[in-house]
Amino acid sequence: MVKMFRNRTFATAAAMVMASGMAYAEETIKVGILMPISGGGASYGVPLVEGVKMAVDEINAAGGVDGMKIEYFVRDSQLKPDVAVAAARELITKEGVDVMVGAVSSGATLAISELAKQEKVALLAPAAKAAALTSTKLHPYIFQLAATTDSEGRQMAEALTTIGAKKICVSGFDYAYSYDLFESLEKNLADGMEIVDTFHVKLGTTDYSAVISQLMGSDCDTVAGAVWGGGFIAYMKQAGPFGIFDTKKLVWAAEVGSSEMAGALKGDYPEGMWAAAYDLWYFEGSDAHKKFQADLAVLEGTNETKMYPVTTYIAIQFIAEAVRKAGSADPQEIAKALVGLSVETPLGTRTIDPDNHRTNTGEFWGPMVTVEGSEAKQMSPATYLE
Amino acid sequence: MFTNPTFMFIQVMNSFALGMNLFIIAAGLTLIFGVLRVVNFAHGAFYMVGAYVLMTATNLMGDTNTGFFVGVVAAALVMGVIAFFIERFLLSHLYDKEHLLQLLFTFALVLIFKDLVKMVWGPLQHSISYPPAFKGAVNLRISYYPAYMLFLSVVGPILAIGLWLALEKTRWGRLIRAARLDREMLSALGTDVKLVFSAVFVFGSMLAAMGGALAAPRIAVDPGMDGLIIIDCFIIVIIGGLGSLWGSFVGALILSTLTVFGTLIFHEWEIVLVYIMMLVVLLIRPWGLFGHPDEERH
Repeated sequence: MVKMFRNRTFATAAAMVMASGMAYAEETIKVGILMPISGGGASYGVPLVEGVKMAVDEINAAGGVDGMKIEYFVRDSQLKPDVAVAAARELITKEGVDVMVGAVSSGATLAISELAKQEKVALLAPAAKAAALTSTKLHPYIFQLAATTDSEGRQMAEALTTIGAKKICVSGFDYAYSYDLFESLEKNLADGMEIVDTFHVKLGTTDYSAVISQLMGSDCDTVAGAVWGGGFIAYMKQAGPFGIFDTKKLVWAAEVGSSEMAGALKGDYPEGMWAAAYDLWYFEGSDAHKKFQADLAVLEGTNETKMYPVTTYIAIQFIAEAVRKAGSADPQEIAKALVGLSVETPLGTRTIDPDNHRTNTGEFWGPMVTVEGSEAKQMSPATYLE
Repeated sequence: MFTNPTFMFIQVMNSFALGMNLFIIAAGLTLIFGVLRVVNFAHGAFYMVGAYVLMTATNLMGDTNTGFFVGVVAAALVMGVIAFFIERFLLSHLYDKEHLLQLLFTFALVLIFKDLVKMVWGPLQHSISYPPAFKGAVNLRISYYPAYMLFLSVVGPILAIGLWLALEKTRWGRLIRAARLDREMLSALGTDVKLVFSAVFVFGSMLAAMGGALAAPRIAVDPGMDGLIIIDCFIIVIIGGLGSLWGSFVGALILSTLTVFGTLIFHEWEIVLVYIMMLVVLLIRPWGLFGHPDEERH
């Protein structure tokens, strides 16, 4: 009996030692990913998760960060603030994530940003652009890697100047993103340019015929748009037959210059429309960009890769660099290390501004035109604006 | 703006075309409810399947008129077959059970179809070209107007009259109307009520898929498109009266008019406007504009 007891004690002790040893050897950086991967948001969420996978696989294959492997946990945020918060809470309490990346819509991102603040776990936002995220709602645990409406409005004004717009109609979804964007646009307009009409539609609508007829009746020479996603597709499809593309110039924000949108609309994409994109697979750029595109092409099985993966790829790069700098995967250390951090990304050096936690994320702007041998229109010439 | 007759004419046309598209979808929902007494949450998912089947057809046959119209028919047929299996092997076991179970069942279908669609067609957004015959605009003398919208404006009323004639004048129509009023009596008289139920569910689902295929060229086809339409459908059916064909016709026109003119007049209030309308109808005629007071009890 005594012998058996002793044996059991020994075995338990041995197991404990082994377990702790294993835990030590396999210490990981746990990253929580919050993206809409079901429903309409999946067209954003799925490519965004691809970027995470690519960066994590690459870093782990090279031995991890100072020997620590990255492990990521994907949760469905569904474009809904309440769902996103519940998922984020689960990631923090159950999976014990050290840092989070998410989400897509500004609404969901603002909601999980509050939780990040309470729980003191850094949140990197690769897609949400509402300026509020890092202005009125700024706190030590939020980092906005996406372009903000402040910079986007400035870039849009530059694009409008280039095409010689004078009287401008603005049209977007009736919510914070459009208001912030067009406010920034108005501030940056050059002399002699003015916004003459505003035609907003409710978020998530599928019928644009009323605003399109209103646009037709306005005497503006250019339409500056910000309707995104499926709404952009519907807007263009419904505006086409009214002949609006023949009578007015179009400049569109919200990354509709992506290969996703061009690939979906194909011939129905308005020829010559100015659009923006975070990345273009046909833009050569640096060696780092070429390598990134080549790897992404392997992952996606096509050369015409999607635009969004690069944003989360960069987010993971920032996390890896922060852990390296901090020398630990402690959530608070990661958050501290992210402040003022610089990373060499496929799109050049990106730095997190210590004052407002934003990065110098630029976008490609240019007219979308028909290109020989491609069904999808391409941006040419594409100019990178910061 | 509102004194401009051309502008007003275009808005009225817009309302009508949109309304007709909505009617085709909502007619299926109201028909199924009228006979089976099942509130089918998955109706929006069936609409989505229709759009995706059309996409596959146009991918296979190219953006041709044939590709498009074969695709619309294929959308209805494919959904009809799926609906047959759903009704026969699953839903039919729930008719005697409480309503909650039926609701849970159709809600489960919504989730299953969302994932199925994503697995089969992927998560990305797609766009389907207009059929070449209805691609551009038609000169209506007052103004140019999109040909595809005119096409929808013609298909809707034809379908409405066709459905009405089928319900009023054919044997099947009489059986369906009888099943709505008293299914026990119909069964006692020797009619295979199960078969009638099957047929109505299949046909109603085919209308959803056809409506989805017809809507597809104007919108983005993505795995979230079911959520938006199902709300519209419920609003239409509640305003028009559950189970009433003409109710869904008028309900669809009311909703589309409120949508189009609401955007113009009470821009900020557009969303609320529809619900206020629904509230008013529910307060004055809880059974809907064209519904029957008896229907309310079920």
